[in-house]
Amino acid sequence: MATISLSKSEKAYIQSSLKASSSLRADGRRPHDYRGIALETGVAPLANGSARLNIGKTNHEQSGGTEVLAATKLEVEDIENGDGVEGGRIVCSVSCSPSAYPHVSYAALDDLQYDYTTLVQDILAHPSLHPPNLSILRGKKSWLLALDLVVLSDSGNIYDALFMAARAALWDTKVPRTRSVEYRANGSRPAGGNDMDVDQEKQSALDTRQVKTATDFELEDYWDEGEPLGGRDKWPVCITLNLFPPLYYLDAALQEEAATPLRLLLMFSFKSQAPASLQGMRLMGTDDIDLSLVSGLIKEGEKHAGELFVAINAKLKEEDIRRTEKARRRFAAVR
Amino acid sequence: MITFTSFPVAPDPYLARNDDAADYLPDSDYMDVDLEEESDAGSSKLTCPGESITSSHAFMRGHGTYVENEEVISSVAGLIERVNKLVTVRALRTRYNPEVGDLVVGRITEVQPRRWKVDANSRQDAVLMLSSVNLPGGVQRRKLESDELQMRNFFEEGDLLVAEVQAFFADGAMSLHTRSLKYGKLRNGQLVTVPPILVRRLKSHFYTLPCGVDLILGLNGYIWVSKHVKENEQEGEEGFDAEAVYSNKNDEIDEATRTAISRVTNIIRVLATHSIPLTDTLLLEAYEWAIEADVDLKDLLQEDIGDALIAAVTNR
Repeated sequence: MATISLSKSEKAYIQSSLKASSSLRADGRRPHDYRGIALETGVAPLANGSARLNIGKTNHEQSGGTEVLAATKLEVEDIENGDGVEGGRIVCSVSCSPSAYPHVSYAALDDLQYDYTTLVQDILAHPSLHPPNLSILRGKKSWLLALDLVVLSDSGNIYDALFMAARAALWDTKVPRTRSVEYRANGSRPAGGNDMDVDQEKQSALDTRQVKTATDFELEDYWDEGEPLGGRDKWPVCITLNLFPPLYYLDAALQEEAATPLRLLLMFSFKSQAPASLQGMRLMGTDDIDLSLVSGLIKEGEKHAGELFVAINAKLKEEDIRRTEKARRRFAAVR
Repeated sequence: MITFTSFPVAPDPYLARNDDAADYLPDSDYMDVDLEEESDAGSSKLTCPGESITSSHAFMRGHGTYVENEEVISSVAGLIERVNKLVTVRALRTRYNPEVGDLVVGRITEVQPRRWKVDANSRQDAVLMLSSVNLPGGVQRRKLESDELQMRNFFEEGDLLVAEVQAFFADGAMSLHTRSLKYGKLRNGQLVTVPPILVRRLKSHFYTLPCGVDLILGLNGYIWVSKHVKENEQEGEEGFDAEAVYSNKNDEIDEATRTAISRVTNIIRVLATHSIPLTDTLLLEAYEWAIEADVDLKDLLQEDIGDALIAAVTNR
């Protein structure tokens, strides 16, 4: 755990403030308040989708807040000879900038990265979330979706930030359009080399050979970067409940995290016209919790995750509009 | 309530092309700062990296400068200072540069034989010797072996303390002491960190705000905001009560005081993000403004309210 050191009296102060009847926090928030979240998509021009997210920084501050950069890159994989899997696959990785954890040693930082990577990979690469349009050629070629997250600074609530950034980057991801190409050897033509003999080459409308024998593909030249990743509504959001059983609070700052013995991570996926599905759950910390409390906490978590989901979706749509507008203005300016 | 905002937007280069502002080029003469013409040596000027300060023939380069093409050039953004023929630039954004006699707030990082290592926002960890803290059973006495064995009873890792810079070691690390009843372990409050340059050297760094909040402005940019303790209730008034001085237990703190502590913390954060040096009068004005304007505690950190606060307190 990458927590900062805190004196006993500071911990006691934070805990007693939260447990007091008015539940006040260090910066005046209520227990269920989030800090302000800044989000921007399309920050990396060479990525297929990217996003930058910051929790808790005000616009005047030069630094501060929990900042995460997420980017996706699509690579072609060979299914027959390479690592490719039918229907494509997703690989996530999280790396932490040493400046985000100045008090953590290099070896410990590696462990931390590994922990984050495992969690993100487990949740996002789950078959139930797999996007339908990651295959290129049946049995031959498929897309590898590599999602890379970089933690630039951590001032608490890193898990929620990681999943929000991942969701934004995946939402932003465009899969390039492809067209399959059939290879036909010259030798298959009639040996006579008679140019007039075209009739034999003609294919019937019912011919499905193209799909079967397609050996390679080419990228379609089209005005946009491709079509959005399928099922992008499904990407989950994470909500971290910081627990002082039976109390809980959201969006802990770094000091609050150090004073909290137990955390419950809940990842929810929301599909249209379907109840939210719990995609993952982690209990972290040194304390224990009564099992009977957990189901109530999951319900509460679902409520908050729903709010977060609505908010992030609205922002993502706003970003889409902003970027198409920017592209149009830029086009006009160049012309 | 969860709100999303955008990052502050950098000006779009494609749009700026049409603006008149883009045609503006900074006047190169403006950059020339000749120290010879500056009438008195006491006045200081701001400079930024790469800016030529003066000729290297007439002046010596000091910290924060380098010489190129026979010119002294600043390597940091900061204030130009001159002592006789030595030109230095003191960086605005830097770690804390300690001086003997400074009051600092620090956090214990390590317990070592006969000494503690203290993080004080400086380039190196500060050192607090066992011989420079108040030991139980009298302010002045020799340290014993038994004291060495129970060092964690005085300070342990993570503990916050207020101390004074006593001296420097050969490698530039500072040595602290807490040999005063005002100094020692901190409790009943929370820490807020600001850039060290925003805390000026003042007559006193201990303030009591009328809202029942004590303030310790560490010159290293660590500020301790805590519940007010009455003069006659301070530990160690009559004799030295080690149990109370090195206690980890907080007193009973009521809701109003907690709210006041949070409000003061938020005000300090707002002032710091606007790069405004902290003084007690400024803080008090800001606090009164926040009470008068009836601003919700957490809304203080919002951009527009922060701007309004700054406008209100700086225009008076």
